Amino acid sequence: MEIRYSGGKIDISEKRITLLDRFVLDFIRVLEHQTPYVIVSGYVAILFGRSRGTEDVDILIPTMEKAHFTLLHDTLLSGGYEFLNAEDAGGLHDMLTRKMGIRVAKKGQYIPNIELKFLKDEIDRQVFQDRREVALPDAQVFISPIEIQIAYKIHLGSPKDIEDALFLFEIFGTHLDRGRLKEQMKAFHVSGDEYGIIL
Amino acid sequence: MELSFDRDAHLQERLAFIRQYAAWIKRTPDAEWSRQQADLIDSFIENARNMPLSKEAYLRIVDGRKRNSWQV
Repeated sequence: MEIRYSGGKIDISEKRITLLDRFVLDFIRVLEHQTPYVIVSGYVAILFGRSRGTEDVDILIPTMEKAHFTLLHDTLLSGGYEFLNAEDAGGLHDMLTRKMGIRVAKKGQYIPNIELKFLKDEIDRQVFQDRREVALPDAQVFISPIEIQIAYKIHLGSPKDIEDALFLFEIFGTHLDRGRLKEQMKAFHVSGDEYGIIL
Repeated sequence: MELSFDRDAHLQERLAFIRQYAAWIKRTPDAEWSRQQADLIDSFIENARNMPLSKEAYLRIVDGRKRNSWQV
């Protein structure tokens, strides 16, 4: 796979859809009727071929009023999903406004699940504003800019996160905006030098 | 008993593997690398679905992991 761009989208439309992809695409089909979103963190690396599983997929959405969130909540429940947190719609909305994540899964199946959060700070807002569209077979998803993702993963710092960062750096190679990546590294106070992520 | 596990050496070994793996992905058609990836991920999901775990127990595990490690 050489990274291809088609009509402004990152094109991996020949990719075989995994059960995890199918779970994400099904969820997004419901979500995007109610709100725009951006997928962040581990699933971004997995989408482009990283060979690891994950239990959860992190999705950021803009802050919603309680009534709007209740509509999303009810739509998800009637679509065969359940919230893993023991709260009603009001309690879940309260968690979100307190910058906590809430978890949604297909009813009776806790893995995989979606961890849904409101945009909480300037970095989240930047990720959302500059989200990138990825073309999959018969579907599109919006993901974080890769440069922010690499810096963020180094910032998290676990072996798994460093591996995700290096993987994205290697896969996107010359397609990365090096200036932006440097900026993001600075913003997160990290360097990739010791991991071979050299700018 | 003293553990002789060298975390840095292990990480560098893993990173070398990631570089090789990414290079393989880049020279392999999407249909092929994603077939192999799907075999791995689908097995993981199938196994996870068979895990006899209540949602309360699952959330306790996730919360504990977040408190005690790097996993976010």
